[in-house]
Amino acid sequence: MQASRARLFKEYKEVQREKAADPDIQLVCDDSNIFKWTALIKGPSETPYEGGVFQLVFAIPEQYPLLPPQVRFLTKIFHPNVHFKSGEICLDILKNAWSPAWTLQSVCRAIIALMAHPEPDSPLNCDSGNLLRSGDIRGYRSMARMYTRLAAMPKKG
Amino acid sequence: MDSDEDMHDANGSESLEDDFYSEDMGMESDDEDADYDFGNEETNDDAEDITFHRQQNYTILSESDIHQRQEDDISRLSTVLSISRFAACILLRHYKWSVSMVHEEWFADEHDVRQVVGLLENPVEIPNVRELTCGICFETYPRNIMSAAACGHPFCGACWRGYIGTSVSDGPGCLMLRCPDPSCGAAIGQDMVNKLATEEDKKKYARYLLRSYIEDNRKTKWCPAPGCEFAVDFVFGSGSNDVCCKCSYSFCWHCTEETHRPVDCGTVAKWILKNSAESENMNWILANSKPCPKCKRPIEKNQGCMHMTCTPPCKFEFCWLCLGAWSEHGERTGGFYACNRYEVAKQEGLYDESERRREMAKNSLERYTHYYERWATNQSSRQKALADLHSMQTEKLEKLSEKQSQPGSQLKFIIEAWSQIVECRRVLKWTYAYGYYLPEHEHAKRQFFEYLQGEAESGLERLHQCAEKELQIYLEADSPMKEFSDFRTKLAGLTSVTRNYFENLVRALETGLKDVDSTNSQAACSQSSNSKSVCGKGSKSGKNKAARSGGPSRSLDDHWSCDRCTFFNPGSATTCQMCEHHLPT
Ligand SMILES: [Zn+2]
Ligand SMILES: [Zn+2]
Ligand SMILES: [Zn+2]
Ligand SMILES: [Zn+2]
Ligand SMILES: [Zn+2]
Ligand SMILES: [Zn+2]
Ligand SMILES: [Zn+2]
Ligand SMILES: [Zn+2]
Repeated sequence: MQASRARLFKEYKEVQREKAADPDIQLVCDDSNIFKWTALIKGPSETPYEGGVFQLVFAIPEQYPLLPPQVRFLTKIFHPNVHFKSGEICLDILKNAWSPAWTLQSVCRAIIALMAHPEPDSPLNCDSGNLLRSGDIRGYRSMARMYTRLAAMPKKG
Repeated sequence: MDSDEDMHDANGSESLEDDFYSEDMGMESDDEDADYDFGNEETNDDAEDITFHRQQNYTILSESDIHQRQEDDISRLSTVLSISRFAACILLRHYKWSVSMVHEEWFADEHDVRQVVGLLENPVEIPNVRELTCGICFETYPRNIMSAAACGHPFCGACWRGYIGTSVSDGPGCLMLRCPDPSCGAAIGQDMVNKLATEEDKKKYARYLLRSYIEDNRKTKWCPAPGCEFAVDFVFGSGSNDVCCKCSYSFCWHCTEETHRPVDCGTVAKWILKNSAESENMNWILANSKPCPKCKRPIEKNQGCMHMTCTPPCKFEFCWLCLGAWSEHGERTGGFYACNRYEVAKQEGLYDESERRREMAKNSLERYTHYYERWATNQSSRQKALADLHSMQTEKLEKLSEKQSQPGSQLKFIIEAWSQIVECRRVLKWTYAYGYYLPEHEHAKRQFFEYLQGEAESGLERLHQCAEKELQIYLEADSPMKEFSDFRTKLAGLTSVTRNYFENLVRALETGLKDVDSTNSQAACSQSSNSKSVCGKGSKSGKNKAARSGGPSRSLDDHWSCDRCTFFNPGSATTCQMCEHHLPT
């Protein structure tokens, strides 16, 4: 508990210090609980998520970083490895391939990479996975694009 | 039967007893022509010793044996490859503790093997600076309190402890632990664990390592008896699958169920599944399986069509709906493939469909219940005999020794009798599963099987009675009785006869009661071998020769097998009760 708090505090300071280091990721620690974080990530360019801003929410276990944080999308996203309803993410480094040397920042980076390179063979969103597996790239893109517009883009007004 | 002559040659040799018993180790020769005669009360004094001559094709390992073997393998490999013991251990675990496999892979491509298991060719020192940042907690510490695997990635003591502890509590996967740095992959061996983990985790790790030596190895298994800590090292390809652990539990190496000769692993699995699922199976039986109206064997409906054909040799063709003969289904009844005979019958109220189905289910269940009851009875009888054997060993034998003024060493025959009872109950139990799966239409086989089983039941009953009731007299006697030595002779004799009978029974069932459907020529052959053995009688080995000569078709005194249809007829009959063929002379 104490070790994970200390480690999270280090990550917090690092985030404050390097705010502009990665313009695609904005990590925010909850004011009252260092085990609760959120992040805003930018959809990678040349993907149907481009132009969107997606919010992630972290629940961090007491054994962090020996155990991985739990992360899910708060923003709706149409992606084969993200559960459409719960926002749960299927990503190996969040499960058995976790290393305590990873940070929340590197988790965000890995999620951005996943958005650009979906793995249709381990789908959490079957509709999306099936579109990709059947080779209907256009179908997938247009669905993903539509949800990005609907859910991840600031309303023009 | 072509080896009939050879067998007699073998019988002529001095080592006949050994030959006879060594064949128990599973040589599937023609030795099913054995004697099923319980009338032979001759005792075989040598038999007791001989059972221990069987060469074992397995070794029972205690925890310290396992440890020793594991250490030896590791040491040997570390010497041969000139690597550390911990590296050798990682390699062996990766290749499922097969020394030869490690050799093969290592000498084929050492570089590749190192890559795969995470053994670096050139170890890297921790950077030579005064202070370093731990890769997990991100704190900065002096160099001397940091540790790293061969890759040189430094982590502090607390983080190592936590990292190893998390992995150990996750299970045996901790044996494949790698450096925490995600880009690294250097193996973390037991040396690191012993240096960095808590005492408890070190113990757990060592335990997993020991277990891995048994569980990941193709030729070793733990004894499945609850609470037993012995393991078995099994040599493939020779003899029986039965393993008897030092804890006295016997099990089948293949399926790890309790020893189940004469039935095979598949039958055991089927039977166990059947027992556990029987209640739930009712619906399934109702929906998917019905006994053939002619031979009563359950026929599964696996096609949509109602036109059923029973499996050979029955081949009865019937209608699934009405169970009537298919030949009666024609234009008159509404056509073969539009059987409305069922519909008509239902409309006319001739029978109620659900009632009919219940009837069918009842029939197949009744048959199952018959076998299950007897299987279960022998099972509990065996448990009781085991308890009796135990009380013999722990108290009664001592009491008997006092009462009859017999040294304990002279009372071994009682333990042997009880051990035999336990074993026979086990065999008998499984003959009921055997009987259940014996096709009903193989009438001659069934008949013969039931005869053998009946003889086995009554023979065992005699032994059980003698060991239980008659022994009681000597246990309760006020002073030593001179009849005791007669009792010894009788009980030892019954034990030996019963053992022989059951061994032959097991062999006969394992070979599928082959000689029941023997042809005429085979019958003649077994007849001639019978007469040969008669000539051989009186020789030194005569008593044993009787135990292995003559096919069962001839050896049951009061029965004879029909040449034409193989039906087993009582001795009093002069023509076959099945086909009316005359008794061969
Ligand atoms: Zn540390
Ligand atoms: Zn490393
Ligand atoms: Zn055991
Ligand atoms: Zn088995
Ligand atoms: Zn049939
Ligand atoms: Zn049909
Ligand atoms: Zn019909
Ligand atoms: Zn006949």
